[in-house]
Amino acid sequence: MYKFREITPRVADYRYQIRNRVLTYDSERGEIITEAYKRLGAMIPILKKAYAQHDWAEKCTCFIGDTELIVGGKGKYMFSSSGYPECGEFGGSMNDHWIAGLVKSGLWKMQDDGFYHSPDTALAPARIHPDTLKKMDEMKEYWKDKENTSDRVTASLPDFYEELAGTAATSYLMPGQPGFIPPYSLPLGHLVAGYKKIINTGYRAIYDEATAWLDAHYGKLFGQDAKKYSFYKAIQITADAAMIFVKRYGDACKAKAAECTDEKRKAELERMAEDLYWISEKPATTFRQCLQAYMSYQVFHIAETSNPSAALGRFDQYTWPFLKKDLEEGTITMDEAQELVDMFFLKANCFYGIAPEVVADTTGVGNTWQHTTIGGVDPKTGEDATNPVTYMVLETVARLELHDPTISLRFNKNTPDELWSCAVETSKMVGGLPLYQNDEVIIPGLIKEVGFSLEDARDYGIIGCQEIVGCGNDFPAPNGCPPHGSAFWSIIFDMAINNGINPLNGYQCRLHTGYLYEMENIEQVRDAVRKMGYYIQQMFASMHCYAEEIALADNCQPALSMSVEGCMESGLDVSWGGAKYNSFGCTATGLSTVADSLNTIKYMCFDKKLCTTRELYDAVMANWEGYEDLREQVKSVVPHYGNGDPYADVEGKWINDLYYEICQTVSSSRSKVYKSGLYGASDHIRQGRITWATPDGRKLGDPIADGSSPVQGFDKNGPTAVFTSCACYDHHHYMDGIALNLRLHPSVVSNDEGIAKVVAMTKAYFANGGMETQYNVVDTATLRKAQEDPSAYKDLVVRIAGYSAYFVDMSKDLQNDIIARTENQLG
Amino acid sequence: MAELTGRVYDIQPFSVHDGPGIRTTVFLKGCPLRCPWCHSPESQLFEPQLSWIAMRCVGTDQCKDKCIKACPKNAIEYGETRKDMNEDGTVKSIVQQIHVKRDLCDNCGKCAELCYPKALYICGEDYTVDALVKKAMKDKAYFDSSGGGVTISGGEALSQMPFTLEVLKKLKEKGVHTALDTTFFTPWENVEAVMPYVDVFLLDLKHMDNEKHLGMVKVPNTVILENAVKAAKAGARFEIRVPIIPMFNDNDENMHATAKFCKEQLGDEAVEFVQLLPYHSLGVTKHLRISDTPVAAAVPPSAEKMEHMKEITESYGLKVVIY
Repeated sequence: MYKFREITPRVADYRYQIRNRVLTYDSERGEIITEAYKRLGAMIPILKKAYAQHDWAEKCTCFIGDTELIVGGKGKYMFSSSGYPECGEFGGSMNDHWIAGLVKSGLWKMQDDGFYHSPDTALAPARIHPDTLKKMDEMKEYWKDKENTSDRVTASLPDFYEELAGTAATSYLMPGQPGFIPPYSLPLGHLVAGYKKIINTGYRAIYDEATAWLDAHYGKLFGQDAKKYSFYKAIQITADAAMIFVKRYGDACKAKAAECTDEKRKAELERMAEDLYWISEKPATTFRQCLQAYMSYQVFHIAETSNPSAALGRFDQYTWPFLKKDLEEGTITMDEAQELVDMFFLKANCFYGIAPEVVADTTGVGNTWQHTTIGGVDPKTGEDATNPVTYMVLETVARLELHDPTISLRFNKNTPDELWSCAVETSKMVGGLPLYQNDEVIIPGLIKEVGFSLEDARDYGIIGCQEIVGCGNDFPAPNGCPPHGSAFWSIIFDMAINNGINPLNGYQCRLHTGYLYEMENIEQVRDAVRKMGYYIQQMFASMHCYAEEIALADNCQPALSMSVEGCMESGLDVSWGGAKYNSFGCTATGLSTVADSLNTIKYMCFDKKLCTTRELYDAVMANWEGYEDLREQVKSVVPHYGNGDPYADVEGKWINDLYYEICQTVSSSRSKVYKSGLYGASDHIRQGRITWATPDGRKLGDPIADGSSPVQGFDKNGPTAVFTSCACYDHHHYMDGIALNLRLHPSVVSNDEGIAKVVAMTKAYFANGGMETQYNVVDTATLRKAQEDPSAYKDLVVRIAGYSAYFVDMSKDLQNDIIARTENQLG
Repeated sequence: MAELTGRVYDIQPFSVHDGPGIRTTVFLKGCPLRCPWCHSPESQLFEPQLSWIAMRCVGTDQCKDKCIKACPKNAIEYGETRKDMNEDGTVKSIVQQIHVKRDLCDNCGKCAELCYPKALYICGEDYTVDALVKKAMKDKAYFDSSGGGVTISGGEALSQMPFTLEVLKKLKEKGVHTALDTTFFTPWENVEAVMPYVDVFLLDLKHMDNEKHLGMVKVPNTVILENAVKAAKAGARFEIRVPIIPMFNDNDENMHATAKFCKEQLGDEAVEFVQLLPYHSLGVTKHLRISDTPVAAAVPPSAEKMEHMKEITESYGLKVVIY
C-alpha cells in the first residue's frame, strides 16, 4: 500500500485552526472600494476597476498568521469574508444587507468577543463586529441607488423571458417565484488564470509591456488602438497595484520578524519577506517563491471580482521545475516541500465567504471552487508528466482530509501504477476525491469539439465542478446565469408528455407536443421530448447569451486579463473576447431519470402492454396517488439504465445524444462553442423538490438522478455494470465535463489486492471510452442514511467474502452490525 | 432430449473476494453439507424456495392482500406489523406484513409473481448453459483488465454435474479465467472431470477432525481431504478458505492441523494462499427469509483472535489473508 508521510506539528495546528474556523464578515475591502468609486465618479468601468484595485492594494491589511509559510488574505482577519459592494451587495431590491437583517432579528447574538455570532447550528459559523455593521450602513447610503449588472439584466429582459420563467423548467425564474435568483447573479471569471505566466514572468515585465504600448501610442490612438488604450492603461495600473500589494506583504513579514523573539521563526519571516520582495517584480526562482507568487496572485485577482471560482490549474506542473532545481541544489528537502504544499492548500482553505444558510445547505459547506488539476501529460511531448509534486498534493488531501479544493487527477495510458494506487488510497480516506479524469478522451475531445491546438488540449485543467478548460488561455464560463444554471430535463420530459404544461404549476408553454395518451409508439414519445428539449434548452441558452452580452459590457477584469494568454497580445480584456480561447457551456443533470421514464413507457405501454398510456399518464399526473400497485410494478419490472442492459441503455444513449445535438446549435457573440456537460453540481435534490412525478415511479419531491449517474438505487449490478451503461454514448461530446459517482464498500479496498482491482476496473472503463469517475468508499454515515431512507440506497451492497446482500434488505439489528464492521474496516 | 439446465440462486458481478481480479460469481443451488453457520442457507436445497424479505413488504393495505388471495394452499396470513420511521423519529407508517405458513407452502410461486416489490420471490432459477455463460461474461473487459474471470460457487456446484462441467468448458472456450468454489464433497470422478477447465479451486476446509466434521456439518471430511490431495498431485491450484467458527474450529489445534495439511499434503505449489474468514451472523437474516425455525447466532471472533489464527497459519510458510 502507498505510505503517507507524517504531518508536522505546524501543519496539524494550522489545520486545527481551519477546521474550527469562524468566518468574520470584513468590510475593509468594501470601504476602500466605496471610497474609490466615490472619488472616481463617471470614469469608464475598466479604468475605475483598475484604480479601485490599486487603492485596495495600497490600503488593505496584510495579515500574517503566526505559523504561516505562505501568506495572503482577504482582510483584517485570518478568516475574513469580504463584501463586494460594486457587484450589487447593497443593490436595488435589498432593504438591508442580509447579515444586518439576521443581527436585527436577533438570530445572530452578541458573544464575549464583542462580535455577533451566527447560531450554533449554522453549517459555517460566522460573526460580525458592531462597528462593521455601522460601516455597512454608511456604505449602503452610497450604493443603494447605484445600478449594477444584475439590475441592468433584470430591467432589460427579452420578450421570451416571461415564458421561460413561467415554465419553471430552468433556473431562470420570475421575481417572487420560490427559488428566484436574479437572472444575472454570478459574476464573471470561472476559469484557470495564467498562474504559470505570473510565476515565470513576474509583474514588472507585464507593467513594462503595457507601458511600452502606451508610450508608443502617445497621442496616436487610431483605429482599434482607441479601444486598446483603456485596456493597456488598466493593465499598467493593475500591474503596479500587484507589485505594491506583494511588496506590502513583504513589509508585513519584515515588521513581524522585527518583533519576533523566536530566532527560528524570525529567520523564516525574514526569508519570507525577501521572497515577497523578489516576486513582487521578478519571476520566481525557488519553490518557496513559486508557491508564494501563485498564492499572492490568487488573492490579488480574486479580490477584483466577487466569488469568481478561480481554479488553480495544473499545480504540480507549474511548481515541480522549481522544486526539482532546489532539490538538485540541496536547498530544500522533500519533507520541507511537503510541508509547504500542505500550508499552500490549507491557506486556500482560508478564503471562504459567508453565505446565507440556504446556500450553504444546497451547495454544501466549504467549497471555495479552487479546483486543482494534477497529473496528465506534458503539453509539448505528450509524455506522462507525473512528478513528485503530484503525489504531494494527494498526500495533502488524504492526510489532512481536505475536501477543498476539489482535486482532479488526470490519467493517461502511461500513468504509473504507483500513482493509480495512491489515488485509490486517497479516495479511501477522502470520499469523492480525487476526480479521475481520462486524458485519452478529453484531449481529442477538446481538439474536435472546442478547436484547441494539440498542445493546449494537452494542457487542460478542470474548474468549478467538472468543467474542462484551457489553462491560462481560455475564458470559458462567464456564466451570466444563476448558480447551478441549467435546464431541468425531468421537467422538460413531463411537459413533453403533457402538451407543454408543467404539471407542477400548470403553466402552458407556447409549444404543444400532445399528451402521452395520444401517443401510439415510443417514436412519438421521443419526438415530443425532442421538440420540447429543443424549445426549452435553446430558450435557456438564449437567455444565457443575452445576459452575457450585458454583463460583458460592465465587467472588465484587468487583474485577470494581465495573465490570460491572448489579452496582452490583442489589447483586449477577457470580457471583450481577448482570451486565446472563448467558450461557454452548461450542464444537464438527471438525464438518467428521463432515460428511465422512456424505458417505463416503452416497456409498460408498448412492448409488454402491461398498462395503457392513459393509465400511466393518469398515474403520473396523480403523483402516483391511488396507483401504488402500478408504481411498484414499474419499479420492479421495467429494465433500468445503469445495469449494462442494452434494452434500457438505448434510451440513455438517446437522451444524452439529443442533449448534445441541441447544444451544438448554440453560440454567443463571443463563443462559437457551447459545451455540453453531464454533472450534477449537487442540484439533483433541489431539482427533485420542484419536479412533478415522473413515469419511472418517482414522486414529486424525490431527488432526480445525479449527474450522469443512473437513477439512485436502480443500478443493482455493481460498478462494472454502471460503467458498461455509461460507456454507451460518446464521451468526447461532453467537454463541459461528466460526473459519475460510484460507491464502494470498504471491504473492497481494504487491502492491496482490492485496490489493484479498483485500479484495473477504472482502467478498463477508461479504455472503453469512459471520461470521468469518482469513488466514495461507503462510510458509516452513509449506512446510517440508508437505514433512514432505504429507497435511495437500494443498490447498496454489503460485500463480505462469499456473501452479499443489499443493505436495506436487512433488519435494523443486522444493519447496526454491518455499521460496526464498517467502522472496523475503515479504522 | 431436453436442453441441459442448472439451477442458480444468484449471479453477482464485481465480486472481489472470490478469486483473483474482478469476477462475476455464479451461485448454484443445492449442497450436501448442512453447516449450521451457513451464511447463504437458501443455497442448501436444490428445489426452488419461496423467500420473503420483511423489509421489502409494502404492507397488505397497499397491495390489497394480493399474495394472500393468490395462494392456492392458503399458506399466507397476516403477520407482524412494522413501524417505518421518519428521520425525526416519528412514525411514518405502520405496515401490516404477512407470514408464510411453511408447512402449507409448496413453493409454487403464484404469490411471488404478483409481488412487485419482490418481498416474496422464488429463490432458484433455471438457466441453460449458453444463457448462463452469456450473462456471466458481460464483464469480460473488466476480467481482462484485472486478471479476473468467473467463479462458480454454491451450494456445492459439483452437485450439479454435468451442468457445472459444461459451463466451465464453455467459459474456457471463450478464454475466461475460471474459479470453482467447492467443498470437494463429491466423487473423485467429478473433480477429475472439471479439473482441466478450472484455473483455481476455492476449497473450503472446515475441520480436520473427521468426527467433529461429521458431527457439525453432517458429512465426513475424508472424501474432501482425499480429493484435495489427489487434485493437488494432479496439478490443481488452490485458494484455501477456512471459516473461523466459534466453539467449532477456532482453536489452535485445528488451525495447526489445517495449515499442516495445506503445507505438507497439498504443498506450496498447489496452495496460492489461505483465506481466513471470520464467522459473521449475517446468515441469520437470510435464514429467516426461507424458514420460521430460529437459528442461533454466535459472537464473531475478535480481530485479535483472527490475527492469532493468521500467525499460526503463517508459521507454516503459507500466505494468509483475512477477509
